[in-house]
Amino acid sequence: MKFMALIKKEFHRFFHDPRLIVTMLLPGIIIFLIYTVMGNVIGGSEVETYTFKVYLSGQSAVTQVIETAAESAGHTLEWLPLEDEEEARAAVKSGEATAILAFSENFDGFDGAERGEVKLIYDAMEQASSFFYALSASILEQYGMRFAIVSESLSTDDAIGVEVMTQILPFLLVCFIFSACMSVTLESVAGEKERGTLATILVTSAKRSHIALGKLVPLSCISMLGALSSFLGVALSMPKLMGVSLGFLGGYSVWSYILLLVLILSTVPLVVGAIASVSALSRSVKEATAYTSVLMIFTMVISLVAAFIPAIGDWVVFIPVLNAVVVMQGVLAGGLPVWQSLVGVGLNLAYTALLVFAMTKMLSSEKIIFGK
Amino acid sequence: MEEIVRAEGLKKTFTLSKKQQRIERTGETRRVAVNGLSFSAYRGEIYGLLGPNGAGKTTTLRMLSTLIKPDEGDAFLCGHSIVKEPEKVRDVIGFLTSELKLEGFFTPDYLFDFFGAMHGVEKQVLAERKKQLFTRFGIDKFAEVQVKNLSTGMLQKVSLVISIVHDPAVVIFDEPTNGLDVLTAKVVTDFLSELKAMGKSILLSTHIFSLVEKLCDRVGVIIDGKLAAEGTLEEVGKGDLETAFFDLYHAIKGEIV
Repeated sequence: MKFMALIKKEFHRFFHDPRLIVTMLLPGIIIFLIYTVMGNVIGGSEVETYTFKVYLSGQSAVTQVIETAAESAGHTLEWLPLEDEEEARAAVKSGEATAILAFSENFDGFDGAERGEVKLIYDAMEQASSFFYALSASILEQYGMRFAIVSESLSTDDAIGVEVMTQILPFLLVCFIFSACMSVTLESVAGEKERGTLATILVTSAKRSHIALGKLVPLSCISMLGALSSFLGVALSMPKLMGVSLGFLGGYSVWSYILLLVLILSTVPLVVGAIASVSALSRSVKEATAYTSVLMIFTMVISLVAAFIPAIGDWVVFIPVLNAVVVMQGVLAGGLPVWQSLVGVGLNLAYTALLVFAMTKMLSSEKIIFGK
Repeated sequence: MEEIVRAEGLKKTFTLSKKQQRIERTGETRRVAVNGLSFSAYRGEIYGLLGPNGAGKTTTLRMLSTLIKPDEGDAFLCGHSIVKEPEKVRDVIGFLTSELKLEGFFTPDYLFDFFGAMHGVEKQVLAERKKQLFTRFGIDKFAEVQVKNLSTGMLQKVSLVISIVHDPAVVIFDEPTNGLDVLTAKVVTDFLSELKAMGKSILLSTHIFSLVEKLCDRVGVIIDGKLAAEGTLEEVGKGDLETAFFDLYHAIKGEIV
């Protein structure tokens, strides 16, 4: 009864205050709008000029047409002799060269009875390479059906976008979780302590552990809503920003989504617990905000570092928050790191339990509650 | 008479921060706020703790309400130890002090229900008690107004009512009329008399002589954390409580600065 009363009070406080609801959900909406606008601006920006380095095999007058078209558009085109196709492919893939253009023998000599072949190998991940492909293909198509065009991209259009999103999304998600947890927890714990309303609750016969949990459970649920709002804002706008189709989200299995959800579910109470503990230790909301900001910057830095360290090692599952970032990366990269997820979730819950215990002790400490 | 409150050698020491030491221009790092305080209060009486600011009244009441722990000694409220059974103690006391605030966002109606639930009061009992107390104090007229929009007098009435939501056997009030206008102060003092008539034990701290003379059956004078005198008004005041107090203070502390 007492525990439920505490939970209801926190929900009542949040859901009956339109300002708090707007503050919580607004970041997600703003992120969606900003990223979408940024995506449109980037997508609609003027085309740059490139220096094309194209491996050429075989002879055709078409090369001259392509060269003229490229140079008239302000680009530079350099033909390289194709000696080893594997080496050339590697050069294109690494970005050292732009594309491979290979004409079959006596390409210009076909009279229509037989058809020649032109092979165009490019890398959709590279803007210059994609541009050269579009330019060449459009010229070759003007020759009608005299020959077959065999085009091959060394990577798909979505690959780079998905790769970046795989690295960035978990980091952003942690940031949003932290931000959502901060906005409600600081006010609810440090705010109540500063205003003296927490002490009024402490005079009732409710157990300190129930009071601690009575804060953590509803605040975690509310923070989850905020984090979800921000996450949806990012998830729905990032594809536009990165030039990736939303279809990539459908490429993950139900289990991938369940793992993501469980990771988020276990990370939110942990972050709420950490901020609530810092808030309980602080004398004012201002002080708690300062301490929590340091905590947030630290978390962001390690999350960002983790995002760009490949194969960071399994030990990372023991580090709270960082484990969620790395496992989420694994999930988004198409893997299903089940045991890492389970260990990470289990440890997050254990850390949360420790924080609840610590907060219970803090609520019993007169130095912390009444210390000036 | 049935003993409801019994304090036995309560002692509380605080560490002074550097800032406090600077403000008070003192080199001492620890201060004894309450020093071996013992007294008893009985069922159906109002017991007043009288003393100047900093004498240890509030610290004593905080210890009795289990908000802080004594360094030494113990106290028993309705037989429950404040050291060993703080939760049971909190169930039998109502504590009103200006330091305990009500969340400004909520209404008196919501807060009454919330604190009722926090004390485990049954819903039906709570509803009847709310009707009775809200009518008695005129809170029903502003029951749905957010606490942050209430006047000081209204707020004190709400705080008073919420502190006794669970019908406690012991009511502890720290400076109950401080900052109130004369009308609200009278409502509060009248209610304290009503509570006494209902058989409740009331402990109040104050530095207002007239309040003690008007309400209290017995009084304990605290100076420098020690009980300087205790007894009925007649025994302590000998007809003039104010003069008796200053004589006592002068005898212990010397000149009054």
